[in-house]
Amino acid sequence: MRIWVTGIGVVSPLGRGAGVTMDRLLAGDRAFGELSLFNLPEMRTRLAAEVRGLSAAEVAPEGDAEAWSRTDAMSVLAVREALAQAGVAPTRGPIDLIVGGTTAGMYETEDLLAELSRDADAIKPLRAMLTHPLSSTADHVRAAVGPFRRVRSVCSACSSGANALLLAAAWIRAGVSRCVVAGGADGLCRLTYTGFGALSAVDPNPCRPFDKRRAGLNLGEGAAFLVLEPEEASRARGVTRPIAELVGWGVGAEAHHITNPEREGRTAARVMQAALAKARLSPADIDHVNAHGTATPLNDSMEAAAIRACFGPEAERVLVSSVKGQIGHTLGAAGAIEAAVSVMTIARGEVPPTMGLEEVDPACPLAHTTRATKANVRAVMSNSFGFGGTDTSLVFAAPDVFAAPEVPARRSVVVVSAATIGPLGVLGARENDAYLEPGPAPAPGPIHFQASEHLDVGRARRLDRAGRLSAVAIQRALGDANLDPLDPSIGAEVGAILGAAFGSVDGSTAFMRRIYEKGVKFASPADFPNLVPSSPVGHASIYLGLRGPVFAVADLGVTAECAVVTAADLIAVGEGEVLAAGSVEEASPMIERCLGPVCSGEARGVRSEGASAILLEAEEHAKARGIRPLAHLPWWTSWRGAGEGALDGAPEPPKRAAILTGQEDLPPGLCLPEAWAAVPHRAVAPRSGVHEGAGGFAMAAALAAIARGELDAALVVGHAPERGYALLLTAERSPDEPGSS
Amino acid sequence: MDPADVRQKLKELMVTELNLEGKEPTDIDDAAPLFGSGLGLDSLDALQLAMSVEEKFGVRIPEGDDARSIFASVNALADHIVSAKAAA
Repeated sequence: MRIWVTGIGVVSPLGRGAGVTMDRLLAGDRAFGELSLFNLPEMRTRLAAEVRGLSAAEVAPEGDAEAWSRTDAMSVLAVREALAQAGVAPTRGPIDLIVGGTTAGMYETEDLLAELSRDADAIKPLRAMLTHPLSSTADHVRAAVGPFRRVRSVCSACSSGANALLLAAAWIRAGVSRCVVAGGADGLCRLTYTGFGALSAVDPNPCRPFDKRRAGLNLGEGAAFLVLEPEEASRARGVTRPIAELVGWGVGAEAHHITNPEREGRTAARVMQAALAKARLSPADIDHVNAHGTATPLNDSMEAAAIRACFGPEAERVLVSSVKGQIGHTLGAAGAIEAAVSVMTIARGEVPPTMGLEEVDPACPLAHTTRATKANVRAVMSNSFGFGGTDTSLVFAAPDVFAAPEVPARRSVVVVSAATIGPLGVLGARENDAYLEPGPAPAPGPIHFQASEHLDVGRARRLDRAGRLSAVAIQRALGDANLDPLDPSIGAEVGAILGAAFGSVDGSTAFMRRIYEKGVKFASPADFPNLVPSSPVGHASIYLGLRGPVFAVADLGVTAECAVVTAADLIAVGEGEVLAAGSVEEASPMIERCLGPVCSGEARGVRSEGASAILLEAEEHAKARGIRPLAHLPWWTSWRGAGEGALDGAPEPPKRAAILTGQEDLPPGLCLPEAWAAVPHRAVAPRSGVHEGAGGFAMAAALAAIARGELDAALVVGHAPERGYALLLTAERSPDEPGSS
Repeated sequence: MDPADVRQKLKELMVTELNLEGKEPTDIDDAAPLFGSGLGLDSLDALQLAMSVEEKFGVRIPEGDDARSIFASVNALADHIVSAKAAA
């Protein structure tokens, strides 16, 4: 099956539109200039690559601009352009949407956070905070351009945009999507600008990727989206030729350090090789590498080593360039913008230059292009690496040049373990049904959590509380499955998909307040990496040695369900053998009194917090390891809107089944299929407390009840405003075994 | 400034700012290397420590090769702070 790229949309500091961006990249234009968006006293540099003249009001409904962000505006414009070029429209057939990013509406909300936090009692719901959650970008694209069918928001720091495209490819290969628009977007904000400054990662002058005198990156902003379709679907609507094909992808984590890449680029090389293997291509087939090339001393030498390791002697031939010398580092958008540029490089037969590169660093010996170079480009590899060591490579190819990749058979997914940390402590695979038993409501606010009881705090010293809660939940889930991620006999790298509805709200607030109260030069370099939404899962990956796919998702009060469903999607098509999935939610006055009511709606019950990790595995892989799963995951779904008819495809329940939810009520607009209408409904919220991750506790409770023979199946349903997820967990029992129905 | 006092304050600062949980200021050897083998600190710690030293003592740590010798040990860092304060 070929995956066709049929549309591209780009908003970049070089212009609005994919074509104009590529024209100016090839012309060697550099977009750096004096920052106009904000000014903070004592900033050491004011250089940035801004998208000029852009405001949220351009795309927001009349009178509602305060609740929209510049990131929304860039995304909406890029998605519209991509859909228009592809000639598809959401009103004419189902289109899925995946948005990668790191900051969403941080620029619009970071001052408010600092302001509101001065007096905890005065925190109140503000509509302007609607743009704070990572998922708000996708929500606003859906509102402005939609209706989209399946929607995801992903974050793996600076590889977010690439991972959005990777997930889109997985959906198409799985046969569940006939059209996906996927990419990334990030607007400049004070938090990232001062944060990278604190890390001494910013060059006060225009940056110099791979140059001997390179002194750091420049920040940029932008958005890019690609329309991806299976060839058959695209042909069926009359398209005869794509712009290019997405033929390969690889993803993995370094499990090394939160900000510094592995010096020798071992994981980056592994991921690049995986992308080639997926495409069934060899280094000789690749004509160009669109490098991550940030111009930081560590990234560029690591990447050069990785490219040489992956390409061997072919590294002398393959042209390498980085667009970051022209548009800066656009963070969560970078992987998507560079994917778009890779596609246009193939289509135009011209490789963009690395501007700023004058004297190649001897540590970066590659075939660099320092001016636009015409070439017959059959295939391009695009690299993206993020904080936490989250590496992703994508391979795009000219249409019909290479053999069509085979589609692997869809695989069954099982659950082998689950754990939570919440009001009842740390509970393992067979214990979480405690959340279904009658008992007192939890005390409001933070749960008891003594990190030293569960973690080596010397080794975990960089992990903030969310990172520690995540690591404890995943560690317990792995332990209950007797799974040591560092054990090579597992035969696969363990990955993790875990997010938080609102990210590191209190951490971001404290970071901004410090800047305002003490000055920019006292921005904390150690705290900054903990503010990216993928930080908790990234830290957990480093602490536990998880080297498979590692990224965060965010989807308001159904983030845990979103993570599990996303992990199941990936395992089903072979993008991972073992994945931990769940969420981490922390108690915070800002969430309880502002973000929660504004974004999730008013909640009944006691607000609490906690983390969950559900361990999913390919059934064939679990069998080969001799593992007996806790349950099967034969069916899952997700929806946007009220969810009418969303559960119609659910298999019929066995005799002893239950519907389990995190929150107390079922979605009001959701109609249960007749077979499920009489099945008892139970909720964990009375014991777990109310928080955006309660669904993870419902899944863990369901698994324990099934594992202990109390249930034969559980339909876990999670819902939040305008969205929901459902997944069916069933017992692994033969009919004559005790406990079967 | 009394160098012994600066060393003590510096070690307290390191424990809190670098989250050296489970360690007491007295566990830190004044002469041991801060980075790599000794305390096992890395470049991210160096940035955090430089920022904290400036905040606490009002002394800037220069970047580049000079920083390497200043960050050699608690002793070297305390000496830098004391002499910078005396010169101010």
